[in-house]
Amino acid sequence: MDDLRPTLMPLGDSALLVRFDRRLDMRANGAAISLARQLGANPPNGVGEIVPNLVSVLIRYDPGVTNFATLAGDLRLVLFGLGADADANAGAHHVVQVRFGGSEGPDIEEVASSLDMSVADFIAAHNANPLRVLTTGFAPGFVYCGLHDEALHLPRRQDVRAKVPPGTILFAAGQTAIAATAIPTGWHVIGQTGFRNFDATKTPPTKLHAGDTIRFEAVS
Amino acid sequence: MRIEITRAGPLATVQDAGRHGHFADGISASGPMDARGFARAGDLAATSATAGLEITMAGIAFTYTGEALKAGFSGGLFTLAINGQAKPWDAAHSLADGDKVEIKPGPLGNYGYIRFAAELDVPKVIGSRATNLIVGLGGFEGRALRKGDALALIPAKPRKPQPASPPAANEGPIRFIWGIDADQFDRKTLNAFTASSFTISTKLDRMGVRLTDGQGVFSTARILSLVSDAIVPGDIQILGDGTPIILMRDHQPTGGYPRIATLISADLDRFAQLRPGTHVQFAPVTVPHAQALLKETR
Repeated sequence: MDDLRPTLMPLGDSALLVRFDRRLDMRANGAAISLARQLGANPPNGVGEIVPNLVSVLIRYDPGVTNFATLAGDLRLVLFGLGADADANAGAHHVVQVRFGGSEGPDIEEVASSLDMSVADFIAAHNANPLRVLTTGFAPGFVYCGLHDEALHLPRRQDVRAKVPPGTILFAAGQTAIAATAIPTGWHVIGQTGFRNFDATKTPPTKLHAGDTIRFEAVS
Repeated sequence: MRIEITRAGPLATVQDAGRHGHFADGISASGPMDARGFARAGDLAATSATAGLEITMAGIAFTYTGEALKAGFSGGLFTLAINGQAKPWDAAHSLADGDKVEIKPGPLGNYGYIRFAAELDVPKVIGSRATNLIVGLGGFEGRALRKGDALALIPAKPRKPQPASPPAANEGPIRFIWGIDADQFDRKTLNAFTASSFTISTKLDRMGVRLTDGQGVFSTARILSLVSDAIVPGDIQILGDGTPIILMRDHQPTGGYPRIATLISADLDRFAQLRPGTHVQFAPVTVPHAQALLKETR
């Protein structure tokens, strides 16, 4: 935490954002997850919702109960004692089975060749290390996992696919993402999982949380 | 008790106060575009029922079947007739078995509300009856209402009649708090943003309202893609081509375009009711001022 300098700023009149960095960085991400976890366990007065993002935490509050200055004061105390990396990986562990390539992962050959790898080597490298759920929230049940080693970093595609189905495994920007609903995407489509992180009949409707750990496993 | 839709304007939906607390699940809260208009319709119907109908400019028509039932009509200014007889809008009316309710466009607003002294019998999904059109969740089968849809109503406790909250004042610039990415814009652009007039475009829906930037405030701004961050309703996001878009109740929960400003809660309902072609100016206020204004309107 020592060299992270969180900025506290209003996001409208009923929310506050704690931002740890302007770039995606694992320590800033870890700090965001830790802060959200600590606040979730012990929410300050008037706080309604705490949402960890990639490098920030959104805190929605009731301005009839508290205000920005009071809440910022409460948060600074929590931030002083924040241990970023220790807490960030304290979430649950999951295994996600993926069918890589084929018609469900049409970009995998292009991805592997862009990285100067065979498809088999790419899959092995992709699954080598467990990844952190960096954040959730882009779409229902959608999760970003990362970060991969630098050798696996690849920009997004030039064009956007109008729709990929639930369960699609996406790859770009050093991350692997899992779509839980049909969404448009500019990421590389590398596979498909039977795992669904969204069920509208359940409350809460999602299983994965920021800070959880995911190990991807290839199945045929 | 039930209503059967005989004509549906586009994007008429079932709404309640919203599905709050699920940003991390990837779901924004939805809820009425004009929350005060929605609340006022409920006050007029003197009901504890949580759900109501949100209609858009083109209106709606439905037939009511059942025992006598009070209904409140508010939000914007629409043209209301029951069995062909003109009735005042922004009022409560008693519906009788077989009544044909026809709502046509009126002079003001994009959204109107109909609340009944009975609950719209649609299932709660993740704690709410609100329709989220971006996800296809909640409300009536997760979608906008269509001709032929029949919605049952179940008894709800009456509420003590109370003075309906007055309609929001409709004057002056729309007020905002500087946004989380205001530092991405140069001083000249920030000044031009508050000094210029924008126009509500025809591209508006429950997800967002695009503005026409006639004076070219953002035409030369260098719009960078940022690390994606949380969105709240009222955020003004500047797209890659310089188009300003105000994110509304069915917004995406996160986004990576820079947010120059966030509309204050007290002005969000009023903004939602501005029709395409309306000129709009924006004025900055402080957070304490915005919160004081919100308390006045509650």
